[in-house]
Amino acid sequence: MEELLEILEEIEPDVDYATCTTLIDDHILDSFAILSLVSEIGDAFDVQIAPGDMVAENFNSAQAIWAMIQRLEEEG
Amino acid sequence: MAYHTLLFLIVFLPAVVILYQLAGKKFRPMVLLAAGYVFFFSFSRWLFVYLIGATVVMYFAGIGMEKYRLMFKEQKKGLDRTAAKELKKAITAKKRRILFVGILFLAGTLLTVKYYNFFAENVTKIAAALSVSAGLPQLDILQPIGISFYTLQGIGYLVDVYEGKIKAERNFGKLALFMAFFPQIMEGPISRYDQTADQLYAGRRISVQNLTMGGQRIFWGLLKKIVVADRLNTMVGNIFSGYQYCDGAVIFVGAAAYTLQLYMEFSGCMDMVIGTAEIFGVTLPENFRQPFFSRNVSEFWRRWHITLGAWLKDYIFYPMSLTEGVKKAGSHAKSRFGKHGAKVVVSLAALFPVWLCNGIWHGARWSYIFFGMYYFVLILAGVIFEPLFLKFSERFPKLVKHPLYIAFQIGRTGVLVVIGELFFRAEGLKHGLLMFSHMIKNFHPSAVVTGNLLGLGLDVKDYLIILLVAAAVFVVDCLHERGVGVREKLAGMPAPARWCAYYVLMLSVIIFGAYGDGYLAVELIYAEF
Repeated sequence: MEELLEILEEIEPDVDYATCTTLIDDHILDSFAILSLVSEIGDAFDVQIAPGDMVAENFNSAQAIWAMIQRLEEEG
Repeated sequence: MAYHTLLFLIVFLPAVVILYQLAGKKFRPMVLLAAGYVFFFSFSRWLFVYLIGATVVMYFAGIGMEKYRLMFKEQKKGLDRTAAKELKKAITAKKRRILFVGILFLAGTLLTVKYYNFFAENVTKIAAALSVSAGLPQLDILQPIGISFYTLQGIGYLVDVYEGKIKAERNFGKLALFMAFFPQIMEGPISRYDQTADQLYAGRRISVQNLTMGGQRIFWGLLKKIVVADRLNTMVGNIFSGYQYCDGAVIFVGAAAYTLQLYMEFSGCMDMVIGTAEIFGVTLPENFRQPFFSRNVSEFWRRWHITLGAWLKDYIFYPMSLTEGVKKAGSHAKSRFGKHGAKVVVSLAALFPVWLCNGIWHGARWSYIFFGMYYFVLILAGVIFEPLFLKFSERFPKLVKHPLYIAFQIGRTGVLVVIGELFFRAEGLKHGLLMFSHMIKNFHPSAVVTGNLLGLGLDVKDYLIILLVAAAVFVVDCLHERGVGVREKLAGMPAPARWCAYYVLMLSVIIFGAYGDGYLAVELIYAEF
């Protein structure tokens, strides 16, 4: 989780990732920020995020992103 | 039998409402499906086999992919991570083959009926230019109504099943209803399977509240379409067909009037469509969110024809951005030019197909492709110059928050949109370029107030009606922008005041509608795309 928070901080600082649950709904992360995030997550956690995973529920909070990473790790 | 016609409003819709209500919960979805097919048949006759063919392909392709998904779930038990990865790869390849065939059928049908003649015409022209005696024949192909809309829904369904976002539908009737819900057939909104299918199949009883709320929204849509859009049609048509005789300022007013016409017509149609669905207890996705409050063109497209933009983002932009080639190019650019360089490269690669598809989706014409490329260039320029805008915002933090600066941004976006619509409406790209050039070279603002506008098919009374209704729509848009639910407020008013408002709305449509002597019936513009 720490590593994910570092990635998020680098992409979009000045956001309280511990509490924010509307990263997508409030346009805090735009399409391009999400693409950077996907690329960084792929490198850091060795998981493949597919276009089908690109839904708001998976990116609205740091917790949701972390849950997605764990799911993808489990799925292989 | 378009949504604004008396046949639809007085005969078809009430008949469907009555039959739906009389049928039991179990049979209500069948009433909606039958209504969808009758509605589709009324426009496209036997071309409705295209729609049924698309549904059959979606049904079997979906089930085929689902079979492999379940197979993977079963076989991966007990495998280590590497073996599971290998298995996933093999199964995904099989699923991808089914997806490919499904999309090939759906997109291939659309490409053939909508674009074959355009393609053949250009191949023949190129061959002639190269003095080669070859070419493709023109075919007499008929295009079923709404094919551009339902094909996108169909492709979305297949991709969602492939990605595992939704389960494949095993109830053919439910899938068929998702594709043939009559309010959506002509102009969308383009919905995703998980947004509407369950609601459509729920067979909810029609409540008085749904009936009044739906009816209220249908009349609001009619007001926009019949009173404003159809009235503007004459003036717009006269300016676009005789632009050579108009001053540049009048041409600009014509393009702005066309933009207003398109907004009133398309958003009005969406009000009728969403209102009709609301009667049956179905919430369709919104297609507009006060687009003319946008501060840049990217924002405009997040507020205008929202469901098309969302479809292109989900099924073109993200998949393109996540291809190995684009990711590698992005990483390479990042190491050489930094984060912004990577963003420009990814934008270039992923936005080009998005805007090409957006343009050509509207029809097989070079002017539509130009329209798409126009926005591609504007949005890419926004990405390229983003660091400058950020520096400007940091340097002048108070200025960028000033209402006048925001008004300037909204005005600038409006002008860019109007120019785009000029090319969109013009009879071909050459015509559009000539018209734009004539507008720039002969621009005299005074021409707008010297009476030229009164000779274009509208009199002072018409302009007053347009201004009055446009002002009402503007006020409602302002309230929506502030988060005020105007319809809910209206529904919550005491009965006498509420019915007064409803009567004013209904009578405005009947009295001020642009129909009868002196007006030509205007077809729904987006239904032709």
